[in-house]
Amino acid sequence: MERTHRVRRRVAAGACAVALVLPLTACDALTPGSAAAVPGQRSVPSPTAVPDEDITLRLQFADAPLMVDALIAAFEKEHPRIGVEPQYKTFSDYVQNLKLTMTSDTAPDIAQYAVGMTDLAADGHILDLAPYREAYGWDEAIPPVSLDQLTAGQTSKATGGRALFGVPAGLSMTGIYYNKELAEKAGIDGPPNTVAEFEEQLAAAKKAGLTPLGVGALDSGGLHLWAALLNQTMPTDDYWDWVNGTEGATIETPAAVTASELVVEWGRKGYYNESANGTAQVDSTAQFAKGDSVFLINGNWAAGQLATVMGDNVGFFPMPGERASDPTVASGFSVSYAVSSRTEHPEAAGLFLDFLTSPEAGQIISDNGFMAPNPEAVKKPEGVLADIAEGHLRAVADDGITTFPDFAAPAMLDRLRSGVQKLIADRVEPADYLDSLQDEWEEHHAE
Amino acid sequence: MPSRPQVQQATKARVEPQDAARVQSPGTRRRSAYRGYVYVLPAFAVYFCFAVLPALHTAYLSLFEWDGVTLGDWVGLGNYQEILQDPILRRSVFNALVLVVFFSFVPIVLGLAMTGLLARYRRPGMGAYRFLFMLPQVVPLVAVGVTWRWLYGDDGLVNQAFRAVGLDGVTRAWLGDFGAALIAVGLVGTWVLSGLCMMLFLSGVQKVDPSLYEAARLDGAGPVREFVSVTLPHLRGELAVAMTVTTVAALASFDIVYVTTNGGPGEQTTVPGLLVYRLAFSEGKVGLAAALAVVLGCLILAIVYLINRLSRSES
Repeated sequence: MERTHRVRRRVAAGACAVALVLPLTACDALTPGSAAAVPGQRSVPSPTAVPDEDITLRLQFADAPLMVDALIAAFEKEHPRIGVEPQYKTFSDYVQNLKLTMTSDTAPDIAQYAVGMTDLAADGHILDLAPYREAYGWDEAIPPVSLDQLTAGQTSKATGGRALFGVPAGLSMTGIYYNKELAEKAGIDGPPNTVAEFEEQLAAAKKAGLTPLGVGALDSGGLHLWAALLNQTMPTDDYWDWVNGTEGATIETPAAVTASELVVEWGRKGYYNESANGTAQVDSTAQFAKGDSVFLINGNWAAGQLATVMGDNVGFFPMPGERASDPTVASGFSVSYAVSSRTEHPEAAGLFLDFLTSPEAGQIISDNGFMAPNPEAVKKPEGVLADIAEGHLRAVADDGITTFPDFAAPAMLDRLRSGVQKLIADRVEPADYLDSLQDEWEEHHAE
Repeated sequence: MPSRPQVQQATKARVEPQDAARVQSPGTRRRSAYRGYVYVLPAFAVYFCFAVLPALHTAYLSLFEWDGVTLGDWVGLGNYQEILQDPILRRSVFNALVLVVFFSFVPIVLGLAMTGLLARYRRPGMGAYRFLFMLPQVVPLVAVGVTWRWLYGDDGLVNQAFRAVGLDGVTRAWLGDFGAALIAVGLVGTWVLSGLCMMLFLSGVQKVDPSLYEAARLDGAGPVREFVSVTLPHLRGELAVAMTVTTVAALASFDIVYVTTNGGPGEQTTVPGLLVYRLAFSEGKVGLAAALAVVLGCLILAIVYLINRLSRSES
């Protein structure tokens, strides 16, 4: 009795499972991805028409909250009927959720352009801004070279010319900050001209009983250190080939080994803050602002905050090359904003993007440590912001702005993060580390 | 899980007086036995829609190579094959098993110890103790993680405490240290789950017939003997529940790890839950993530089954 009961129950459960799975396998509509409604191309009757109703735009972003707040305030002052609601996310959260966010029904109207946007644009989830480009005349306000980064290699259905999937509001670059007071204490009299000279300065800081270099390697901070050194050792063209996935490119080169070995060596010599691997990038910045280290590796997005806290006591220089005559090379990208195809207010979103190209916005961007897309429209910055602007100009002139290495593959950020942590802790051979990166690269680009 | 036996008992209780009165035909008996299922139906419907269906959907997704946006490709069991060959995955399963020690074993021992100390004697402020030990349970795990990240930090309370007692050499960035990170994360789990175990055991003790303790004392049993001979045997059911809940928490851990270390340094604290999240959201390998989730789910089910089996056969 008990046994037949159990058997019957099993049969029933089995039948249920089969009944459930059968329609699943039979139905093509259940193939993942097939149900994601791609909104059609929106017709934009008049991109420059100012909407005359109360509108709220939602803006999701990951970089420079202070700058975004200031831009929004200035924009709302000019267009009182359009409100912009900022939604800040930390960088890793933002990138990880980008695809879900932008394909959901509740996608923000405006979103910061990031690595995954290329795929999203190809699938029609990002609004093609080419008609706006013509209507607003952005080619005059923004150097076209900055816009070319944002075309995702597509032609525009609306204009037949090149598509446009974002408008840059500030360009970024990584480099080294230094605490002038502490540097003086350690006998360091100014930015170094070569990597070797920088090493001497780190040694001097160590000798003076200070923490030489602040690194926040818990998240992406370690990757900036490695990339900064890699930029000096590896020919820029080889690096670009690798990041862009050009066939046959490799990161397993003697140059990359040299850069990785430097990261290990500096760790062995105790140049990093002791807890580099346990410190987030924002935390390392806060510690540097308190005077915990002489140098700090970070990007210009931290400049606004550091200038506010440290005033004239902070300076900046791009990582120097192996020889003083080497070109200035640094990782950087533009902080740009894209518009969702799902937005109900494409005109208002276009208006906001156009505002980003104005001299007023350029000034706000510059005040927050970013390079305004059009440097001629802003007045000369001061202090650490001037150091950054000067470094960026040099890098641009040397054609030395390279993107970040995690652009090479979607999973590269995770490999880089854990790999550099191991380098810092001297737990991996540089060759093995590079091998793990190349494996990931090949897996992605084989598809 | 306990719903079915209870329901059967309830129906039996209602049927039995009639049994005594007259011989019942098998048909009526079966009908009333099935009536029990009607009561379970609403709960089952909810459970089916929000647990079973998504689980089946996940299993279905695991058969595709899908980036989360564009149309997926059918790859059959290919994702499972890939998972079994991945060294990072094997490492993450090992980490999860280490976490079982800190999330399950240690909290249960601590919970038992606290129960032994708090259960049998009325002392002033008992409510406050219970509240304090239970507190970690009501705080969201993300908040717990953020708080402990501060505590473990360079100038955090943990290092300050070590410095205060002259152990300067011991201090380090706990979450960034290759040797200490996993243990540090595990201890956060210990902190969270000990209180839960204690509450479970305390409530179990309250069911024990006081005369048993009286008898034990008359026989000359001290507090330890009393705990071992009377309290512990009565807590078998609670022990099984505590083991199940805490082991699942360890194997399925995600939030604490994500917030404190994000799997680092290196792969020292990478757990399968974190990999599922990464694969699905940052690496665009939704099918692979689903396959890993299915494997993890099966592993957890197997272990929970084992725990239940063991605890039942002992009793």
